[in-house]
Amino acid sequence: MYFSDLGSISLILAAGFALYTIIAAVVGAMRHTPALVASAQRGVLVVALLMLLASFALVASFLTHDFGLSYVAQHSSLSMPWYFTAAAFYGGQEGSLLYWALMLSIFSAIFIFTAKRAPAELVPYVAATLMGIEVFFLLMLTTVSNPFARVPVAPADGNGLNPLLMDPGMLVHPPMLLMGYMSFSVPFAFAVAAMITGKLSSEWLRAIRRWTLAAWTIQTVGLVLGAWWAYHVLGWGGYWGWDPVENAALLPWLTSTAFLHSTMVQERRGMLKIWNLALVIASFALSIFGTFEVRSGIISSVHSFAYSDIGIYFLTFLVIVIIFSTGLFLFRLPKLRPEQEFDSVISREGVFLLNNLLLVGIAFATLWGTLFPLISAAIRHQTMTVGPPFYNQVISPLLALLILAMGIGPLLAWRRTSTAALWRNLSVPVIITALCAAALPLLSVTDILATIGFSVCAFTAAAILYELWRGMRVRHSHGEPYVVALYMLFNRYRQRYGGYLVHLGMALLVVGVIGSHFFQIQKDAVLKVGQDMNVAGYRLTFLGNIDDKEQDRESIASQLQTWRDGQLQGYIYPGRTFYRNFNDQPASQISITTFGLTDLYVFLDDWTGAAQATIRVFINPLVPLVWFGGLVMLLGGVICWWPARTRLATARVSKAGRTSETQPSEHGAKGVVV
Amino acid sequence: MKQRRSLFLVLAVVVVAAAVWSVVYLSTPRQQTLDQRVQAVASQLKCPICQGESVADSPSLLAQQMRGVIRQQLQEGKSEQEIIQYFVRSYGEQIVWSPPWQGFSLLAWLVPIGLLLAGVVLIYFTLRDWRALSRSVEARGNDRDILNIDEAELEGYRAQLERELAEGDVLFRRYQTEAQ
Repeated sequence: MYFSDLGSISLILAAGFALYTIIAAVVGAMRHTPALVASAQRGVLVVALLMLLASFALVASFLTHDFGLSYVAQHSSLSMPWYFTAAAFYGGQEGSLLYWALMLSIFSAIFIFTAKRAPAELVPYVAATLMGIEVFFLLMLTTVSNPFARVPVAPADGNGLNPLLMDPGMLVHPPMLLMGYMSFSVPFAFAVAAMITGKLSSEWLRAIRRWTLAAWTIQTVGLVLGAWWAYHVLGWGGYWGWDPVENAALLPWLTSTAFLHSTMVQERRGMLKIWNLALVIASFALSIFGTFEVRSGIISSVHSFAYSDIGIYFLTFLVIVIIFSTGLFLFRLPKLRPEQEFDSVISREGVFLLNNLLLVGIAFATLWGTLFPLISAAIRHQTMTVGPPFYNQVISPLLALLILAMGIGPLLAWRRTSTAALWRNLSVPVIITALCAAALPLLSVTDILATIGFSVCAFTAAAILYELWRGMRVRHSHGEPYVVALYMLFNRYRQRYGGYLVHLGMALLVVGVIGSHFFQIQKDAVLKVGQDMNVAGYRLTFLGNIDDKEQDRESIASQLQTWRDGQLQGYIYPGRTFYRNFNDQPASQISITTFGLTDLYVFLDDWTGAAQATIRVFINPLVPLVWFGGLVMLLGGVICWWPARTRLATARVSKAGRTSETQPSEHGAKGVVV
Repeated sequence: MKQRRSLFLVLAVVVVAAAVWSVVYLSTPRQQTLDQRVQAVASQLKCPICQGESVADSPSLLAQQMRGVIRQQLQEGKSEQEIIQYFVRSYGEQIVWSPPWQGFSLLAWLVPIGLLLAGVVLIYFTLRDWRALSRSVEARGNDRDILNIDEAELEGYRAQLERELAEGDVLFRRYQTEAQ
């Protein structure tokens, strides 16, 4: 009896329970049998438990070095530290599919636990859809991609993990991104349930928005972590290369961002229902496409270590998902009429439409660029490359407009905005922007495009901060200290101010992107011991190479001194590591030192003996802002998502007893005080 | 009055910014050095043996040699397009880093741009429809007199609601005064 037997049995049982859940939920809902629906809900919880058990079995197999499991033998070795051994759980295809299925079952269980908040008629269908997706993964896991497949003779030691993955980023980036992909399943399940029952109520909208917000936040973190991993591991001085796999991860993020904004229009005005449903379906389909694309190997990418032959199953699943949801969608189309009307284009709705157009436009251009080599190959048998210049030229103008809309949008009121009020809100940010545009060229930012980009970001940041400041001032004038006023603003209007924070983080991130795109300095030099190289005010002195041999790896590191303004700043050790089983894939140990907002990025390109090295240096201005902006976006996302205070529930109850007033959101909390 | 003053202020700042920009633009040298031209050509070519790097960025030996060839050909007086064509002949079309603006690959550029313009048109018509819809609803409402409520009474309730909301919430009061 091995741990793997436990895992195999759990997977098969989970598939059985998931199938049962689908049938019980659908039959229970159609025949109005609450007992059957309750049984289906418990079925979801059993699936989650079984998946936890299976995942535990795989991690235990790794930690006990059970090399009789070919998955364990291929992705770990005796000499790996325990945390990489455990993380190798999702280091290969079978394990990452298991991780996907595990997270889906956990999210399904969370949905069941919070099901009271969702509209009751929808719950069985949501559960059934989630389990339908789960069944697909379980079928893959028990047949073509089984992590618990055993070999007759166990090797003495395993292959070890791909060197690119032997990095702290590996511990966080893949699980976050896979979880992000997975989490678009829940909004999709809500959409399917609403289409089946025809109940697109405001409760439904609230539930689906919160789940989408959670998915969006997770995907944001996954993307930023992915960029961080690339920056620290790949050694080309950048963090985003418009690689097909990066693009695929960006696509559902873009469509769900569009969804989060256009649902506000639906929430307030009852419009755009059809469009919103289409966005939810597209986000899920794109996340399946992303999972498929990494596996398929149809497009050349830096993630080539994930190739396998199961792409065709994902393609089939993707086609089924698209046909099924499009069918439902067309079936429901006649019922989805807008409820309200439009007043004025210079209102917030107008900007939301613009925002949606831009986001979907960016998503489409990215998808088109990713697929174009395939289209070209299919039509005229000529492969071609769609590289970063294409994306930069098509997407940067759209991004600039989007950032501008991010600044203006929140200043506009719903329905109609008087130009006088708009002007009052805009004058300060516009003046700051113009000052910024005038000052930057004097500060030697001579690139026109960079100046425009910085000015647009300055506008948005100024508009948001000014709005925040005005809110604080109003509260302050009613006797609150500024700090308390700031806290109260975020506390009372979570979605609004959380959203501002996300916008602010995005503006910071874009400033970092512009800085590193336009002002990156790169220099290569072949250095002998004692020689210097000078880059943009930094001086590097080469002291020699250090060779370090260990049981499973050999690493070379160059020792360099960094000098700035005649001051010794410290010693850095850029290097390469060769793992025994992956000799042709040396991992890079990149040295990144941050001076203020500028990264000194040093990469050991080549070396000869102990006394000569080819050093490649990048000066990357403003890159730390990318990570900082990402953190601010995460914080904003969490604030938006965070549940309203628990007092709200009591407030609602006490109100319901007194009057028929129903004002659930911010005002509900006051019920206790009044 | 205050509004007009800030309008003038903004205009003044914009004029200053425009002046600074034009001075800086005129004073920057237009002539490119040979290094910059090599870089410009190399960044349009994909390094054939690398994963996602241009010839300009790649440290590989092949990319170094290609940069040398570019430099040599530039010195011989060839144009950028001629040099790129030279590399396309020897490596095939996938050597070009982004699709050129000609032939079939024009589609790569035109389809997203075309769809975006179509989106703008679609939004325009959607907005027009919505507005027409709102007008027809208003007209119908007036004709049939569905809402048999005294408008003045309704206005009274509305004012009371806003007053009560403003009492509990200072921010609401702010938006209220702004809307007027």
